[in-house]
Amino acid sequence: MEHTEPHSTEPEMANRQGAAQRPNGAQGKICQFKLVLLGESAVGKSSLVLRFVKGQFHEYQESTIGAAFLTQTVCLDDTTVKFEIWDTAGQERYHSLAPMYYRGAQAAIVVYDITNQDTFGRAKTWVKELQRQASPTIVIALAGNKQDLANKRMVEYEEAQTYAEENGLLFMETSAKTALNVNDIFLAIAKKLPKYDQNQGQSGQGQGRRLAEGDQGAKTPGNCCK
Amino acid sequence: MDEEYDAIVLGTGLKECIISGMLSVSGKKVLHVDRNKYYGGESASICPLEELFTKFGANAPDESYGRGRDWNVDLIPKFLMANGSLVKLLIHTGVTRYLEFKSVEGSYVFKGGKIAKVPVDQKEALASDLMGMFEKRRFRNFLTYVQDFMQDDPKTWKDFDPTTQNMTALYEKFGLDKNTQDFTGHALALYRDDDYLNRPALDTITRIKLYSDSLAKYGKSPYLYPMYGLGELPQGFARLSAIYGGTYMLDKPIDEIVLGEGGRAVGVRSGNEIAKCKQIYCDPTYVPDRVRKKGKVIRCICLLDHPISNTKDALSTQIIIPQKQVGRNSDIYVSLVSHTHQVAAKGWFIGMVSTTVETDNPENEIKPGLDLLGPVRQKFVSVSDYYEPIDDGLQSQIFISQSYDATSHFESTCLDVLDIFKRGTGEEFDFSKIKRDLDLEEQ
Ligand SMILES: Cc1cc2nc3c(=O)[nH]c(=O)nc-3n(C[C@H](O)[C@H](O)[C@H](O)COP(=O)(O)OP(=O)(O)OC[C@H]3O[C@@H](n4cnc5c(N)ncnc54)[C@H](O)[C@@H]3O)c2cc1C
Ligand SMILES: Nc1nc2c(ncn2[C@@H]2O[C@H](COP(=O)(O)OP(=O)(O)OP(=O)(O)O)[C@@H](O)[C@H]2O)c(=O)[nH]1
Ligand SMILES: [Mg+2]
Repeated sequence: MEHTEPHSTEPEMANRQGAAQRPNGAQGKICQFKLVLLGESAVGKSSLVLRFVKGQFHEYQESTIGAAFLTQTVCLDDTTVKFEIWDTAGQERYHSLAPMYYRGAQAAIVVYDITNQDTFGRAKTWVKELQRQASPTIVIALAGNKQDLANKRMVEYEEAQTYAEENGLLFMETSAKTALNVNDIFLAIAKKLPKYDQNQGQSGQGQGRRLAEGDQGAKTPGNCCK
Repeated sequence: MDEEYDAIVLGTGLKECIISGMLSVSGKKVLHVDRNKYYGGESASICPLEELFTKFGANAPDESYGRGRDWNVDLIPKFLMANGSLVKLLIHTGVTRYLEFKSVEGSYVFKGGKIAKVPVDQKEALASDLMGMFEKRRFRNFLTYVQDFMQDDPKTWKDFDPTTQNMTALYEKFGLDKNTQDFTGHALALYRDDDYLNRPALDTITRIKLYSDSLAKYGKSPYLYPMYGLGELPQGFARLSAIYGGTYMLDKPIDEIVLGEGGRAVGVRSGNEIAKCKQIYCDPTYVPDRVRKKGKVIRCICLLDHPISNTKDALSTQIIIPQKQVGRNSDIYVSLVSHTHQVAAKGWFIGMVSTTVETDNPENEIKPGLDLLGPVRQKFVSVSDYYEPIDDGLQSQIFISQSYDATSHFESTCLDVLDIFKRGTGEEFDFSKIKRDLDLEEQ
């Protein structure tokens, strides 16, 4: 059936959107989505991305510097879902996250640390803000990270699960360290994202282009492709 | 906030955000502060529309304007030259990945009461109704000369020394008349006045080449415009700075720049917090006593429910009214963007008319531009002083950017930024510093 095989993609893949379409779906469609990460500092946002994209974990992951934009694909039946993953780069620390960050985001992972109750409170605030400000169709997943430290748990699984159910969120406890549920949470999001026609949403007319060196005018994909 | 930084940047306008990004990338510890609770300062795009109306003291917009949050209205109109320095900066820094652009559909020039498409290649020159038949041939020869010109190959200079001979001499060499000189200097080389005529021709040749190289890049016109408005640009560079460790604080009033020995800046104070630093970079509004007035710009934001006549219903355009055509000393710029850039609700257009103020009645000065727009549903006029720093900042270690001028593109913006960076750090910005990390990130 479906499988997740994280493999990094060449940058120009984004530009060949739609090219893979086959009438019978044999080659499948490629859909690209913008996914943003939100959550208190040090809950493991960057670690989750690093695990998902590169299969790595660093015990002493530094506060995010240098890399904050990664892409990764997930395969779902006949559909290739490409995530464009944005990490906050710490701008949220003093309530200074730029609107550009969440503009057009179709999915969000709100992360907390199960060993720290405050980070769960902060996660709820982010969820509220997303519900108020983001696109009404945004898919939100709640990730209770650092599940490997369950012996120091401060946030009960049931508490978070109930909250997630009440708010229509996907929910999983994850561990960037052991890789538990990391691919699964991205896959669950991919399944839930609407993969209908490109006439929907913002694709087609109203799309701009990204600029690149030696550029001949690459188009960026919209909500979803064919 | 009570920490020590290498540099504190005040204001999140485009220039400050680019500088902040370059400093962070160069390994400096940066604190970036804005007194407003939004990014962009003067270069913000206002959203939602209600906020724009409030800002200018107008009654709230009625429902014909659609959803307020579908609007992102720039306060300062500018376009990017597709092959210009801002695009290079965006590409080299990787910031371009956060943004999407559209090509501006048309570039026009005003002549004898009408607008005409700016001819840029030989074919267009021959078809243009800007010139008579013989003039067309001369202009075509001139364009060929410029296209073949290579600065490091004097053979292509064809018995003309552009480093010593002035532009008037080059025009004369090709026998171009005053009208042709006018649109060449103002609509292709994008000069604001006629001073360039007496300067060596090299600069003008380079500018015309930039125009045609930019045009060659994406067609239609040499200009690009970002989706969601110009306010995305400062945010993109701020993100770059943050990614390289820059700390961001919005909504933080600055009460004082703290000076130490010899009048050198040593920090900034906000309430009873002090952040220490070795240098300060800021826009003129943070240091009113260290800048002087250089002139005034008038900008008029016009909300339209139709495109501009005689532009083939373009959803975006730039029209330049050369000074001489309307008896002025500086050009009038008209720009148009629309719903296609996600800056206005469906069916709406935003026209902007701007120029350097020359008289006591600035609103009257922009009339030729307004006349081109046709019926305007709502108009917002602002006249603002523009400032330049009184010194180079080396003594005080306070490096101040110049206010945004009336030019319709970002070339002067980038020059100012690169110059400030060089003064502040004593070195040219090393683009290779970012390249490497980005490669790592993308692999
Ligand atoms: C956490 C968070 C904080 C934010 N904070 C700010 C902030 O401080 N300042 C700020 O300016 N913005 C803020 N925003 C809003 C943000 O900048 C974008 O406006 C928002 O993410 C929508 O972006 P968009 O361009 O995709 O939306 P749009 O193009 O407006 O569309 C969003 C979605 O709504 C659907 N839609 C369109 N029209 C309608 C309609 N009439 N009814 C129902 N659905 C419709 C579209 O199909 C689309 O799926 C915030 C967003 C988030 C998530
Ligand atoms: N034991 C354990 N440690 C983790 C896990 N995920 C992240 N960490 C550690 O938590 C610390 C913070 O992780 P980051 O990924 O940098 O957190 P962040 O949310 O990106 O933090 P900021 O970039 O500061 O916002 C690092 O030391 C990681 O090694 C996990 O699942 N288990
Ligand atoms: Mg991080």
